[in-house]
Amino acid sequence: MQVIRLWNYLRGYVIIKVEGLTLERFLNLAATRDIYLWDIRRLDYTLLEMKVGIGGFKGLEEVVERVGCRVEIMNRNGLPFLLQRLKKRKMLGFGFFIFLAIILFLFSLIWDIQVAGNKRIAEEEIFQTLENVGIRRGIIKYRIDREYVEDRLLDEFEDLSFASVEFKGTRLVVEIKEQDLPPESIDMDTPCNIVATKKGVVLKTIAKNGSALVRKGDVVDEGDVLITGLIRDEDPEVEDMLVHAEGEVLARTVYTYALEEPIVKKVEKETGQVYEAHELRFGKRGIIFSKDDIPFEDYIEKTRKVKLFGREIDVPIKILVHEYREVEVVEEKQDIDALKNTIYMKAIEGINEQLAERVEVESKDVNYKVDGNMLSIHIVVEVIEDIGRKQPLT
Amino acid sequence: MKDRMDDIKYSVSEALELPKDVMLDLPRIIMLGNIQLNVSNHRGIIEYTQEALRINSNAGVIKIIGKDMELKTILSEEIIVVGTIEKVEIIG
Repeated sequence: MQVIRLWNYLRGYVIIKVEGLTLERFLNLAATRDIYLWDIRRLDYTLLEMKVGIGGFKGLEEVVERVGCRVEIMNRNGLPFLLQRLKKRKMLGFGFFIFLAIILFLFSLIWDIQVAGNKRIAEEEIFQTLENVGIRRGIIKYRIDREYVEDRLLDEFEDLSFASVEFKGTRLVVEIKEQDLPPESIDMDTPCNIVATKKGVVLKTIAKNGSALVRKGDVVDEGDVLITGLIRDEDPEVEDMLVHAEGEVLARTVYTYALEEPIVKKVEKETGQVYEAHELRFGKRGIIFSKDDIPFEDYIEKTRKVKLFGREIDVPIKILVHEYREVEVVEEKQDIDALKNTIYMKAIEGINEQLAERVEVESKDVNYKVDGNMLSIHIVVEVIEDIGRKQPLT
Repeated sequence: MKDRMDDIKYSVSEALELPKDVMLDLPRIIMLGNIQLNVSNHRGIIEYTQEALRINSNAGVIKIIGKDMELKTILSEEIIVVGTIEKVEIIG
């Protein structure tokens, strides 16, 4: 039934009122002439309301003449009439067309560029490279030759193993994969020395190849040769031999770490008073809607975005809510023992960052000092580690 | 004469199991509960108001009594009536 209704709508129909005495005759005549009438209702003794298609309406003229009744058009419905009305209102149609064109145009622009998968390479560098090939926000996406851009990216950054440029709606997603850099290795055939990476006291030297220059107890500085690949014979007649030195040099090294923390601390406590202001932001410019000034002396500001349609959509128009929470600044004297504990944890964390992975901690020395309002900590850690590093002989 | 012709037609359709409405040119009346009524093979409308409808056919006048009846469609071979149908009567 819906299909028929839709068909009628597309073809166009009129609602008419027929007034006369022998209306049944009118219906029968229309039926025999194959004029399709539908939704016929008797309104009154001499009045019928019905719907008839545009073509059928023209055919009805003859019937009306024979029956002798009056026909009045109540309403014109359907697409043909709608189009006719639109023809009169050209600007409306024009506006609709412009609207479509703008939508299509906006959808064919790039609004956002996203880079994914970069670890070492900075996003800015990639943006710069893209810019060099003419890709930035606001350009028409159909002009971008994706393969060319991918090739350019691979050319520009040598340690990329993969690059892909994809459109996700109005967003350009550049996905790259960086090659895993192999650890710098020196060929086994290349003669090399083993030098110290840091200052330390040598505990043990194990020379698998080459000759050790340092012994237990020696103090070495960074860059000192520990195991040499240059072997000299005592006999000056014999030529010097160059080998690929290999071995381990264990040494005691020292790490220090210092940290300060105020004992009396200013703590901001929220009072629970909140003041909200809304902002409508177009790109970088925004209008803040707020009734009056922020009624608090000390406050922290939090900004959150109002999610349109419950989703994160990147549109140039944003609604921001600024939330001002009133705070009270309270000076709080902290318990020294507790503070020592927390500062110690922080210092240990800091020193752990300095240490290499495979080390053996020999000793640890912790010193606290209270100086006025400051509590300072000084940690000295002695560890045993391999300080050797291969360096090619020239 | 006509009656004899009809008798023969009836016997033939009975014997050959042909649909009788086609053979005898009779109206086919289909009711959908009490809300819709289709009459195929009619001979025109005699009277139509919202409460009563009389349709001419070969079997006689079909009289339909109901409430708020509307003629959904009128074609030369079919009439569809919708509304609340209360009574269908055939006056031969």
